Amino acid sequence: MRFRYALLTGLFLAALTGFPLVEWAIAAASAQSQSPWHGARAGVAVKATALTRPAVLAFYQARGFSAEAIAPYADACVFSFEVRNAGKGPLRLRLAEWRAAGGPGGMRFRLPEEWDADWERQGVPQAARIAFRWAQFQAEQEFAPGDWIMGMAALRPRPAGPFRLVTVFHRGDRRHEIAIDNVACAP
Amino acid sequence: MPHSTERRRALGRLAGLGCLLAAGPLVAQGGGMTPVAGRPPAPPLALPDIDDKPVDLAAYRGRLVLVNFWATWCPPCRREFPSLGRLQKKFRPDELAVLAVNVGEEAETIFSFAGASEVTILLDRDSAAMRHWPVKGLPTTFIVDRQGRLALRAVGGREFDDAAIVRQLRALLKNA
Repeated sequence: MRFRYALLTGLFLAALTGFPLVEWAIAAASAQSQSPWHGARAGVAVKATALTRPAVLAFYQARGFSAEAIAPYADACVFSFEVRNAGKGPLRLRLAEWRAAGGPGGMRFRLPEEWDADWERQGVPQAARIAFRWAQFQAEQEFAPGDWIMGMAALRPRPAGPFRLVTVFHRGDRRHEIAIDNVACAP
Repeated sequence: MPHSTERRRALGRLAGLGCLLAAGPLVAQGGGMTPVAGRPPAPPLALPDIDDKPVDLAAYRGRLVLVNFWATWCPPCRREFPSLGRLQKKFRPDELAVLAVNVGEEAETIFSFAGASEVTILLDRDSAAMRHWPVKGLPTTFIVDRQGRLALRAVGGREFDDAAIVRQLRALLKNA
């Protein structure tokens, strides 16, 4: 039943928007429990990919960070997010509203400016800070239909086990949540 | 029934591929760029190019200018970059100029990726120029009209030689 639903959803989304959402609908049918995770609702599609510590270290060291400086970020629970606006009308989001539910009190994503304050205190080179800033999933965004955005964001403290990822979007006066279960940090 | 489950998954993926093929024309035509409300004046943009020659957006008045903010480490920026050159070839130089503004990287890094590009690459080493523009993430692209106003915007990667975008630019050339 779930397969049929996903297939129909896939066909519908193909007619509406093209392949990426189809791929996601099919992926959802497979009920995958591994990265990347996908969610879609109300013309918004979210993809969350868990990034491993070595991958994060390598990326930022290649952009001018020392291993010591970037370690706190790499030791957190880092994701690469991709969000597409396939609906009608502009979409707004605030990363501060996104959270990992399941633990005591839930956890939130540390914002790019909070990390940057750390880098400034530590004297991280300007070029590295610029690369970091623009590689992040931005704290506040508004994007038009057809637009899509991507970037990294980190949960700190790192959740101990799987959690429910709750992403929040606003279109006009309406607030939409896309929740994805059994999300986990990269090992 | 692992066999049956696997078969269903395979069928599902095949269906996805079928959808992809069926949706191909839609994908190719999709996207486009979003009109900027009120067409405000474009912010200033005066930067060195990859050969360290000064380039000023103001000098392009009378032409359409595509301004693309990008970096080599940004996957969608890398994917869309070749389409900027293909777009430039679809227009005469007195109709359209493409300025690809690299954020925060050294010329050697950029050259190793872009080589002898069809487009003009500018270096915004400290991202100071970018801060004057309404950019929230990479890549972000604007079309500046012939009067120097922000006419269109695209957030996220595009294929800029896509027919829908070419039509939008032709319309701007006609109406300006």
